[in-house]
Amino acid sequence: MERRDFLKIGAGATTVALAATAQQMITPTDTPLSSPAPTPMSLSGSSDLAQSLRLVIEPVEKEMIDGKIVYMVFYFHESGQPQPVLRYREGEPVSISVTNNDLVPHGFAITGIPQATVPEIPPGQTRQVPDFVAPVGGSYLYHDPYEPPLNRILGLHGAFIVDPALGTTVAGSATPFSRAMHTPQIAAVFDAFGRHPRFPGERWKAGDPARDKLWLFSQTDSAINARVAAGYRISGQALIDAFLPDHFHINGLSGFDTAVHDTTASVDRAAAQAIEPVGKQGQPTLLRVMNAGLCTHSAHIHGNHLFECTEADASGVPYCETNVYERDVWIMRPMDRKDMILPFERPPDVPVWPPREEPFPLKYVMHCHTEMSQTAGGGNYPQGLVTHWTMTSPIYAF
Amino acid sequence: MTMGDESISPSGIDWTKTAAQGVTNFQTFGCNVFKASLPTPDRLTPDISFVRQVTTSGNLVAPDGVRLRYWAFEDPASGIKSPYPSPLMRVREGQIVHVTLLTAKHAHTIHHHGIEPTTMHDGVGHVSFEVANQFTYQWKASSPGTFFYHCHRNTPLHFEMGMFGGLIVDPPEGPGYLYSTPMQNAPYQRYQVERLWVCDDMDARWHNVLSNNHDAGMCGENVGLNRFEPKYFLINGVFPTKTMTDQRVAAKARVGETILIRLLNASYSILRVTFQVPVTCVSCDGHRLGKESWNAPIVFPAGTPIELTSAARLDFLITATQRGAINATIEYLHWITRRVQDNGRGVAKTQIVVS
Repeated sequence: MERRDFLKIGAGATTVALAATAQQMITPTDTPLSSPAPTPMSLSGSSDLAQSLRLVIEPVEKEMIDGKIVYMVFYFHESGQPQPVLRYREGEPVSISVTNNDLVPHGFAITGIPQATVPEIPPGQTRQVPDFVAPVGGSYLYHDPYEPPLNRILGLHGAFIVDPALGTTVAGSATPFSRAMHTPQIAAVFDAFGRHPRFPGERWKAGDPARDKLWLFSQTDSAINARVAAGYRISGQALIDAFLPDHFHINGLSGFDTAVHDTTASVDRAAAQAIEPVGKQGQPTLLRVMNAGLCTHSAHIHGNHLFECTEADASGVPYCETNVYERDVWIMRPMDRKDMILPFERPPDVPVWPPREEPFPLKYVMHCHTEMSQTAGGGNYPQGLVTHWTMTSPIYAF
Repeated sequence: MTMGDESISPSGIDWTKTAAQGVTNFQTFGCNVFKASLPTPDRLTPDISFVRQVTTSGNLVAPDGVRLRYWAFEDPASGIKSPYPSPLMRVREGQIVHVTLLTAKHAHTIHHHGIEPTTMHDGVGHVSFEVANQFTYQWKASSPGTFFYHCHRNTPLHFEMGMFGGLIVDPPEGPGYLYSTPMQNAPYQRYQVERLWVCDDMDARWHNVLSNNHDAGMCGENVGLNRFEPKYFLINGVFPTKTMTDQRVAAKARVGETILIRLLNASYSILRVTFQVPVTCVSCDGHRLGKESWNAPIVFPAGTPIELTSAARLDFLITATQRGAINATIEYLHWITRRVQDNGRGVAKTQIVVS
């Protein structure tokens, strides 16, 4: 299969400055999650209260993993980055404006932050999202609430992340959740890293992009997208009933592109690195898992069980679990958000640790086990919702 | 092979012929995965060994008369041809386990789902290798609980075709014991009646058409592996017409006994299970609840719908407090619409008769 990589703005839409290379363009988490950054809030307008973050809605043509070109619609950061990760600190004022450069109405909303809603933005217009203060620390999802769930499925969604003002446990372990949210069980998990005999190594580190990953799941039905590009509209239950996705994504990428390989092109590396957890034994890593699509995914990870730390309540506000399950399969319903911890512990069923003959790094896949999601264009296993995590070395040097 | 070459292991494995040190590219990721028949890396003397021989000649006849082809792993020593589901592996905590895969004509793998060994023993081709002819997987059972095993090549098709079986890790005391040590948060240890419910769904197009090509779709063809429309629903190979009575699924218990239900979703539906009595979930994905301070067993009141997505496992304890039938209903839901599959017909019911 020959593959080209590009993403171009739809016909007539030329107002967004597209300085980035093609693959950077479809890298929702290039900043701040993939590369060391002085602050994990580089996409917020945080330092200047008068400064509003500008988002622009644009239709695009995007290449899928199998080479198919598909019509989609994205929120762009004014830097040209599509589906940008918006990141603020708890208590910080948030000011966002949204310009609609599409030919049909759109909107803006963040699940769990009801005041941050613009129900409708007419074509060619700009609307200010009512100012709000970043709520409790956790992972949120922004999306287009207009004609639900159509515009969300076309690509109008992204992650909104809030770092806690005070996230440490009473015992001093960093967490990504506000202390007021903590349950004894969540504190016990974060306090166990580096202390419990099972978890030699480090505690979880706040502000380290290598230990804080976004896995934003979505699906695309290329036939529906093509009809929408031609002017057809479908939404609500009719869309859910008609939805037959043929491409499955993590952070907008699929299969080979979701992790770094020997032959990964340099322009594709940052996006792959943003998804693939890499570390040594004893470097626990947060996975902010979200599902912007319409499928219920059955996410399955190899190598380690994960700790299921949070989910969202009926109003979309994240809360910490009082019973922290260790799971190798976790359910991701539409609009679910779950913060999971990958402990990077010694894979427990390895007979001799570290292995003497088998070389590091060890690589373990994460994929959806409802295996229709492992395809692209009706085949091409495993070019769907799959990535892997990489353990580079054991904790003790020999 | 040259001595001193770092790519050659002590037992003669050339890692460059695998994804460990071979060049990984778009082809080796999907259409043309590394294939090999290697010695077992880091081989130890096993405490228990299994052999699994691939067969593709299975046939099931559904209640409506439709013949459904399936594939399976046979245990050659058992003499049982084309078992469905594939035969149970049962081991004890602490054992070194060897599982030898014999592939027949095509490449396959075994992934021991929920078991966490090294990458080469994990059975995922695109990060290790697919087994051309024969390979012995090795792992050490660390956690008592419910697991399963399945082929991980062209997985949408091979898993659906029936290449899976149960895998139970008992504590050292063996079956009848959940765990060897009681915990403050998890006092339950013993059970007298046990069932593993392996729930599956089948789409005849996949079983009778797509199955003509083991590699269907792998190199770019659109064969519709994103479209799954099941019309057949099974527990342990039993169709819903017989799940109320067939003792492979239904069970009998006496008042005062403890029943352990190990529930595995081997389907591509969301399973929604409802028990008509209170049940205590004691284990989740093979990890005991209450072993650590951050979780504990969960009591579900009678009638609580409990959902499991594909490949999840939950273990439930039920106490038989009085004579009569304890009913369980398992609904198979579509992964997008969440409706009961096949226009509401995707339901299997069973019971535990208490005397």
